[in-house]
Amino acid sequence: MSHTEYNKNIIEPPLIQNNPTFGSITGDVSGLVEARTPMPWYLLLALSGSLALLMFGMIGYLVYEGVGIWGLNVPVGWGWAIINFVFWVGIGHAGTLISAILFLLRQKWRTSINRFAEGMTLFAVICALIFPGIHVGRIWVVYWLLPYPNQMSMWPNFRSPLVWDIFAVATYFLVSAMFWYMGLIPDMATLRDRAKTRAKKIIYGFLAIGWRGGNRQWKHYEMAYLLLAGLSTPLVLSVHSVVSTDFATSVLPGWHTTIFPPYFVAGAVFSGFAMVTTLAIIVRKIFKIEHIITMNHLDKMAKIMLATGMMVGYAYSVEFFMAWYSGNEYEIFTFVNRALGPYAWGYWIMISCNVFVPQLFWFKKFRKSIPVLFVASILINIGMWFERFVIVVSSLSRDFLPSSWDYYKPTIFDIGTFIGSFGLFLTLFLLFVRFLPIIAMSEVKGVLPQADPHRHSQHK
Amino acid sequence: MKGNIKKDKQYWRSFAQLHNSPEYFKFERSEFPQPAGDQDEPVSRRRFLGLMAASMAFPGLAACRKPVEKIVPYVKPPEDMVPGKPVYYATTMPFGVFSYGLLVKTLDGRPVKIEGNDKHPSSLGAANCFMQAEILNLYDPDRSAKVYQKGAEKQRAEFINEWQSLYGRFRQSGGEGLAVLSEPFSSPTLFRLTTEFDKVFPRAEWYVYEPVSDENIYRGIRTATNGDYYPVYFFDRADVVLSLDSDFLHMEAENIVNAKKFVAKRTLDSPKDRLNRLYSVESVYSVTGANADHRLRLQSRVIGCFALALARELTRQGLQLNINPEFFKVDADFDQTWLKAVAGDLLKNRGRGIVIAGRRQPPAVHALVYLINDALGNTGQTIEFKPVQQVRLPDREKLIKLKKDIESGKINSLIILGGNPVYDAPADLDFHSLLANLDLSIHTAPYFDETSQNCIWHIPQAHFLEFWGDARAIDGAFSVIQPLIEPLYNGYSPVEFLNLIVTGRDLKGYEIVRDTWKGIITDTDFEAAWERVLHDGFYADKKAKQNKPVIQSKAVEASLEANPLKRNKTSTKNPEIIFRASPSVYDGRYANNGWLQELPQPVSKLTWDNAAEMSPQTAERLNVKNGDMVWLEHNGTSVRLPVWIVPGHADNSVSLCLGYGRKSAGRIADNTGADVYPLRTLKSPDFTAEVAISKARERISLACTQDHGSMEGRPLVREADLTDYIHEPGFAREMVEHPPLRNLWKEHKYDKGYQWGMVIDLNKCIGCNACVIACQSENNIPVVGKKQVANGREMHWIRIDRYFSGDTENPGVVYQPVMCQHCENAPCEQVCPVAATVHNEEGLNLMTYNRCVGTRYCSNNCPYKVRRFNFFNYHKKMPETVKMAQNPDVTVRSRGVMEKCTFCLQRINTAKRKAKMENRPLTDAEVKTACQQSCPADAITFGNILDPDSRAAKLYQHHRAYALLGELNVRPRLLYLAKVRNPNPELQETNHNVHDI
Repeated sequence: MSHTEYNKNIIEPPLIQNNPTFGSITGDVSGLVEARTPMPWYLLLALSGSLALLMFGMIGYLVYEGVGIWGLNVPVGWGWAIINFVFWVGIGHAGTLISAILFLLRQKWRTSINRFAEGMTLFAVICALIFPGIHVGRIWVVYWLLPYPNQMSMWPNFRSPLVWDIFAVATYFLVSAMFWYMGLIPDMATLRDRAKTRAKKIIYGFLAIGWRGGNRQWKHYEMAYLLLAGLSTPLVLSVHSVVSTDFATSVLPGWHTTIFPPYFVAGAVFSGFAMVTTLAIIVRKIFKIEHIITMNHLDKMAKIMLATGMMVGYAYSVEFFMAWYSGNEYEIFTFVNRALGPYAWGYWIMISCNVFVPQLFWFKKFRKSIPVLFVASILINIGMWFERFVIVVSSLSRDFLPSSWDYYKPTIFDIGTFIGSFGLFLTLFLLFVRFLPIIAMSEVKGVLPQADPHRHSQHK
Repeated sequence: MKGNIKKDKQYWRSFAQLHNSPEYFKFERSEFPQPAGDQDEPVSRRRFLGLMAASMAFPGLAACRKPVEKIVPYVKPPEDMVPGKPVYYATTMPFGVFSYGLLVKTLDGRPVKIEGNDKHPSSLGAANCFMQAEILNLYDPDRSAKVYQKGAEKQRAEFINEWQSLYGRFRQSGGEGLAVLSEPFSSPTLFRLTTEFDKVFPRAEWYVYEPVSDENIYRGIRTATNGDYYPVYFFDRADVVLSLDSDFLHMEAENIVNAKKFVAKRTLDSPKDRLNRLYSVESVYSVTGANADHRLRLQSRVIGCFALALARELTRQGLQLNINPEFFKVDADFDQTWLKAVAGDLLKNRGRGIVIAGRRQPPAVHALVYLINDALGNTGQTIEFKPVQQVRLPDREKLIKLKKDIESGKINSLIILGGNPVYDAPADLDFHSLLANLDLSIHTAPYFDETSQNCIWHIPQAHFLEFWGDARAIDGAFSVIQPLIEPLYNGYSPVEFLNLIVTGRDLKGYEIVRDTWKGIITDTDFEAAWERVLHDGFYADKKAKQNKPVIQSKAVEASLEANPLKRNKTSTKNPEIIFRASPSVYDGRYANNGWLQELPQPVSKLTWDNAAEMSPQTAERLNVKNGDMVWLEHNGTSVRLPVWIVPGHADNSVSLCLGYGRKSAGRIADNTGADVYPLRTLKSPDFTAEVAISKARERISLACTQDHGSMEGRPLVREADLTDYIHEPGFAREMVEHPPLRNLWKEHKYDKGYQWGMVIDLNKCIGCNACVIACQSENNIPVVGKKQVANGREMHWIRIDRYFSGDTENPGVVYQPVMCQHCENAPCEQVCPVAATVHNEEGLNLMTYNRCVGTRYCSNNCPYKVRRFNFFNYHKKMPETVKMAQNPDVTVRSRGVMEKCTFCLQRINTAKRKAKMENRPLTDAEVKTACQQSCPADAITFGNILDPDSRAAKLYQHHRAYALLGELNVRPRLLYLAKVRNPNPELQETNHNVHDI
C-alpha cells in the first residue's frame, strides 16, 4: 500500500460536501426558514397537532376522572406514564451530549447535527416532564413536590428519589435550553439581517439580543459556550443516573441494582442517538441538505449506537449474572421471570431491538445504508421503550408475595396519551424546523476548510 | 435460604397463572347498573336526616327504658348523651333457627358497627362475615319501603283494613283454605303467636321452608333418637375429628363456637402441647378442609358410602356397632390405608373424638354417624344433644302437600312470612305458577323481591336492628332483639306482622315481646330483670330440659334399609352437581350486600360471581378453562355459568353456589352471577348425578383477587409437621439465612411509651374472612365493583393470602392474613416525596391522606403490597343511606390518595384518651383492633410490645414467631407464628409427599 493510499484511508473526508462557501451555507440554511411554507409541512403539522390535542384531551379526562382510567393496579402502581417519562428523558440525552461532550472532545462533525439534536432534546424533555406531572393521583397538589416556603412548614422528603428527579430533570432542562439558545444567537442575527419583513426583523432581532458579530462578542460567546458545555457535561451523566435511582433505591427485586445509573446513561445515549438518526435522515432528505448532514455523520452516529448498544447489552447480562451470583431467590426469580414469565414477549422485543439490531453496524455496508439506518434507529427506540417497560412492569407485577401478583394491561388512555406525546414532540419539532435554523450556520462555517487559515499548508 | 422444613413439600401455582392467561375484561357486565338518583331512593337525604335526629331518641332507651315512638328531633337532648361518643347495645341476630348475640356500636343514634356479644353462647364475642355485614343491609337503599297491592302502592292502613275484614271470615271458618309459609325460627314470641294461630285457625296449615338448612341433620337425629334435638359439638374436648362433607368451621351452624373450640386444641405454646387431628372427607374445598391435617377428596354422593366403609373398618378393628354387618357391605375401594388410619385413630381416642357429617349429606348418613359416635363413646363427651325449644323446624317434604292443596284449590290464601320461595324454592314446586292459583297471597319481605312481585300483597319487613323480637340459642338461652333505630323504610317486624295476622290487631312489637317475656322471666322484679336482659342481651334458660336421648340402633338400621346409601363407586364416572350456600351471599339473602359480594371466597378467591367449580381433571375432561361458560342441565332445565377450576375439588363433581343471579333484589344483586336454583329439586336439594354438562361458546371474565396460588418455594407461610416441630421448635426462625441486618441511617430506638405490635398465629387462623369484613366496616373501606377487582384494585386493608401446596389433584391449603406490617424501617416512608407516610413515636406507620399526592411510589416499594390506592372517587356514588353506615372516627378517603391498615389507630386513640382521663396507663386488653375483635379463632393478638406482661409481647418471644420478609431489614411490627400440622404418622407416605404438579 502506498503512502498516499494509506493517508487517503485515514484522512477524514471533508465534513461538509460539495465544497460550499460561507455564503452558500448561509443561503442553504436560512433559505429553509425564508422559503414559502411547503404544503407537506401544513399536513404534518395538522397531523401532529391533532395528536397533541389528543394528548391534552386525554389529560383533561384524566384530571376529571382519576388515574383509574389507566391500566394501573396494585401491584403495578407505575405504568406507561413512568415508562414514557424515562423514555423521553432518555431521548433527551443526545442533544446535550452532542453539543457539550462532543464539543469538549473537539469532535467537529457534531456541528452539522447539534442544533436540531438540541432542539429535539428540549422537546423530548418537555414531553418527559408532562408525565410525572400527570401520573399522580391528585394533580392539583403536585407542586407539593417542590421545595417552596408554605404555610404548612413542610418540605418535601429529600430522601425520596422523586424529589431528586425534579431537581435533576429541571436543571437539565434549564441548562439545555440556555445552551441551545446561546448557540442560536449568531444565527438569529443572520436571520435578522436577511429578514425582508418588519415583523421578522423585530422578532429575530429581539432573539438575537444585539448580536453584531464583533470580535469581542465572538470572544465572549465562545468562552460562554465553552463554560456552558462544561456545565452541561456532568448533567448529561447525572440526569439519567438520578432518574435511575427512582428504581435503584427501592427494595424491589429487579429495581434494587447498583448498575442502574451507568446502565441508564448508556441506554439514554443509545436511544438519543437513535432518535437523532431517525430525524436526521428525514430532515436531510426533505430539506436537501445531504451535503451538510453527510453519510459520514450517519456513519459516526451508527458507531456510537453500536458502542452504547453493546454497553446496554452488557448491562442486561450483568443483571442476570448478579442475580444468580447474589444467591437471592427473589432476584433470581425476577430475572428468570423477565425472560420466561408473562412479560417475556416484552423482554425479547427489548433484547432483539437493543442488542441484536445494533450488531448490523459492525458492517460499513449497513452503516452507509439509509434504509438500514432508518429502520434500525426506529427499532432501537422501540427496544428502548420496551426496556423501560420491562424494568417498570415486569418487576412490579411479580415481586415478593405471589399472592399479590397481577397482570398489567394498558387502556386506550395509556396508549392515547403516549401517542399524543409524539404529536406534541413532532409539533414542536415542526415549528422549530420552520422558524429557526436547523443547522448551526456559524459553527458549520467554522469547520469548513476555508475557515482554517492553514488550509493550504501541507503540515497538517 | 433453607426451604420449608419438609423438603419435599412443593408449593405450586394456580391454573390461570400457569398458562399466564391475563384477565380480559371484554365481557364484563356492569355491576352497578344506573345508580338510582335521590328521587328514586326510598329514603331521601332529607328524610333520612330527620330519621337520624329522631333515632337519637333511642339511646333514651338506655336511660328510661321506654320505647319512643314519635319522630321528633331533640329540643332538649338527654343529659347523658354525648354526641360522637359511641354507645353499645346488646341485641340478637336471628339466622334461621339459630341466633347470634350482638353488641352494636351506635353513634348519635345510628348503628355503625356490629360486634359479637361475648356473653352470648353462639357468638362468644366474635362475629362472622354475615353478622358484620348486616349493617350494610340495614342501610340498603334498595330495601322495600312501601306496601304494594298487585304492584300498586298502598298505605299500611289499607292493608290492615283489608286483613281485618278478612280476619273475621277466616276466624269463622277456622282458617279454611289458609296456609302460612314461614322461614324456620326459634323465638319465644313468634312461637307463642304460632300456637295462638293454631288455636284461632285450627284448619289452617303452617309450612316452614329455608333453602339452606340443617333439615337433613334434624331428620337424621329424629331417625336415630325419635326426638328433635340440636347436636352440639365440643371440639375443645376432641383429639380426633373426622368431618364428612361438613364445613363446621365456616358455613355450618354454630360456626363461631366451633371455630373457637377447635382452635383451642390448636394452641401450641410449647413442644409439649398436644394438637388435635382433623380428617376431612369432602367434595368441595371448604375452609374446614383447608384446616385439615388429612383431606380426602370424595364426591358428595359417595361420602355416605364412605361412612359405611368406615363403620365396617371400625367393626373390623373391634368396635361394637349394634347393627347387622350386612349393612356395611360396600363394594367401593376407598383408600384402605386412609380408612384404617382414621378408624384406628378414632378407636384410640374413644370419648375424645368426633365424627361429624355435613348438612349436605342425607339423613341416613347422619343417623349412622350418630350411631358411630355413640359406639365410640363420644356422645355425652364431645357431642351433646340439646332439645329444640320454641322452634319451627324446616320441612321441605311437606311442601309437596302445599303444592297439591294449592293446585286442588284446597288452599286459596297463602301468607308468606319472609323468605323468597319464588326464587329459592325447589324448582319442581314451580312456586311461581302456584301463586297464580291463589285468591290471596301476602308476602312480607325486606325487598320487593321475586316473590313479592308475584304476590297480591307485599308488606315491607323491617331489619332486625329496627324491631323488637326475641330468639333462643342452641343451649336454650333466651335473647332479646331490641331495635337500635326507627325503621328506616316503614318496615313491619315479623312479630308485629304475625300478631296482626293472628289477632287482627296492629300492636307495637315492644308490647308483644314483653307479653311473652312476662312468662319467661321468673324473677319477682320483672322490670329489673327485663332491664338486665336488655343490657346483657340474653337470659339464661333456668328451666333447661336435660333429657339425654338414646341412639336407637334399630332405627338407624331401619333408615339404612329404607334409604340405601350408594354402595359402590362405579357410578362416579358421570358428573354430579352439588349445591351449597355461598360463603358470600349465603342463600341469596345477602345478594345486595356489596361487602359480601366483594368478599373473596375462601378457597377460590372469586368475587362478584358464582361459578361451576370443578377439579383440574374434570375441567380437562370437559375441555374448559377458567371463565368458559358451561351449560348444566338437570330436570329439564338448563343453567349457564362460568367455570372456575379449584384444585382439590373432587373429580367429576361440580359445585354451585346458591344465591346469585337475582332478578329483583337491588342494584348490586340483580344479574350478578347465575341463578342455580332452577336446577335444585325437592328430590335432590343437595347434590344430584342426573346432570348433563356441555361447553357453551361464550367466555366471561371472573374477578379473582389472587391469581397466583404458589408460594414459589418462598418462606412465606412457614409450616412444619408436629414431629418435626417437636424436634426443632424454632424452625420458623431458622428457615431463612441472611447477612447481618444493618441500617444506613441512625436507628430510632422505640424504647419509650406504647410500642404497638401484632402477632398472628397461622396455626389458629382458619381463613374465614371475618376480619376482612370487620376491617371494611370499621375503616370505611369502599366497595369497588367487579371490574375494579378484576383489574387488581380491591381496597381491602387486610387480605387472606391463600396458597396451595402439594400436588394439583389433592393440594393442601394454607392461609395467611396480610395487612400493613408497620415496618420500623419502612420502605414506603423513605420514597414518599411529600412525606405523607411517616412513623410515629409508637412505632405505627401513618398515612396522612391530606398530604398524599398519589405518586403510588410507596405501594411500589412495599414488599407486602398492602397499600391500596383510590384510583377513582369510590365514595362518589355511595347512596345517602349507606353513608350512614360509615364510621365517623375514620376519614373517608377521596380519589387519588393511598391508604392502608392503620392498626385501628382510632381505637388506640380512643382507649388512650380514656386512660388519660382516668389518669392511668392503658391495660393490655383495652385496645383491640377490629380484625382481632371479630376473629372467631383468636388468631390475632395486638398490644404494647414494651409491656412485658402483655400478650403481644409474650408472643413476640414465641419460638414459632417469625417476621415475614424479615430478611429485607424492614423490621415489621407484625409477626407470624408458624403453622404446625399434625398428620397421622401412618399416613405420612400417602399425603404430603407428592412432588410435582
